[in-house]
Amino acid sequence: MGSVNMRWLLLLLIPIFLAGCTGMMDDLNPSGSDKQSAVQSGTVGSHVGQIAPDFTISDTLGTSVTLSSVLTGTAVNGVVLYFTMWCPSCDIHMSSMRSFQIPVFPNVRFYAVDYVSGTVTDARNSELSNGYEGSGFIVLADTVQTVLNLYHGTMGTTIVIDKTGTITMNEDYKDDRLTAALTSLP
Amino acid sequence: MLAALFLGSASLSPSLSWAASCCGGGGGATLLLPKFYQGMVDVSFDLEKYDGFWNQEGKYTPDPAGSDLRQYRLNIGAARRLSTKWQASVLIPYVWNVNKYASATHRTDGIGDMTLNVWYEALDDTSAWKIRDLKDLTPSIAIGPSLVIPTGISPYDGVPSDDVTGRGFYRLDGNIIISKTLHPWSASVALSYGSYLERPVNREVDYVPPYRKKLGDRSSASISLSYIYYLGSGGDALTGTASLSELREADTTLDGSQIDNSGLKKDSIGGTIAYSSTDHDWGIRAIWIHTLKQDGWGENFPATDIYTIGVNYGFR
Repeated sequence: MGSVNMRWLLLLLIPIFLAGCTGMMDDLNPSGSDKQSAVQSGTVGSHVGQIAPDFTISDTLGTSVTLSSVLTGTAVNGVVLYFTMWCPSCDIHMSSMRSFQIPVFPNVRFYAVDYVSGTVTDARNSELSNGYEGSGFIVLADTVQTVLNLYHGTMGTTIVIDKTGTITMNEDYKDDRLTAALTSLP
Repeated sequence: MLAALFLGSASLSPSLSWAASCCGGGGGATLLLPKFYQGMVDVSFDLEKYDGFWNQEGKYTPDPAGSDLRQYRLNIGAARRLSTKWQASVLIPYVWNVNKYASATHRTDGIGDMTLNVWYEALDDTSAWKIRDLKDLTPSIAIGPSLVIPTGISPYDGVPSDDVTGRGFYRLDGNIIISKTLHPWSASVALSYGSYLERPVNREVDYVPPYRKKLGDRSSASISLSYIYYLGSGGDALTGTASLSELREADTTLDGSQIDNSGLKKDSIGGTIAYSSTDHDWGIRAIWIHTLKQDGWGENFPATDIYTIGVNYGFR
């Protein structure tokens, strides 16, 4: 009976051990401490406090969009990049932004970055089938995931960039944090 | 995250219901030993194929063109009888994600979230052949808790969503399975209610300002009906099962504040064909869990088909 119990114990411990080996112990014993590392201001990168990497890609209507040009436009306080793969969570986030942020911050440009559709046409079709035509979002067709890789984004990543090109938020969408970041824009 | 959302739902019925039938078995998460068995090992392989999703209004929406999203799972389960009435089981999945988009393909694999179960056999179905009086209608009832342990790769481990194999939260469930067999028919009802433990989060793809998160309480219900067909006079049997399942999850909270419309809903139907040997030591099964790709059959959840093949062996 003792050896049987030992086998059971081993069976239970193996996945926990593997989880620890693969760096997943954070979930078994999660930490609430702030581990964000300080960044050197003026450097280009995807972290909060860094200068946002510039890019030029097409929106779903075929218009070329360059981040630096948008930020220097008149009546533009900042830019929001939201990474979407047209999933349930993405729909919740985008619906929330459409209701609570887009109407309140008219001087902010809201871009939904479609990083899964391989063509401008397919990105346009996804925008239409998900009901986001005329929503206040400009949908960008990131057909080879250029912007996704520049910003180390994933589904739901929400990035706020102020008029100077500095990133002020880069995390999963949260309504109150996005509102706070947009309110803080100069 | 999507992947993780589905691993949870896959552990519902029909495997749950089937586990309550006369011969034990079922998915590892719900492994239930037949009477007089001291232990069981169960190995199954799932293919879960994503096909669109329901939005928060319940409208079915297809995936973007060129998408082919799949998750494969190898589930290793083991059960052990602790006493006449008590038994325990463990399920350990290994997960492969193969997500093809028109723009790129992502492949990843890793261990999934582990599940521990304890069952108490509160009532036995003592008359599976003929009803002579009222007490012969007594069903078998098994109740017990289960604990999901976040051993998988979660959205809080610094990885993109395509790499996720678990949800990142502990969850404690209360489960009950009620079943009644009157050969050749068997019917069962399985109910479950679970609560996630709140946890701190300081990391998503990168480290972020810390916050506390709790997924909403999860409830599930399943009903199933089985027909047992005996092969010749030797006792080998084929069991066919049809099931209907419902899954609900309440809204998530962040720092104690409820996030409206973040809960989910999914209804599914399932079919199982299972073979058991004369002595019932061996069992083989094939399961198909299907969601109807129509408005109203889900909310905030991907629509999928899950195909499972599994084998189990019981120790007397």
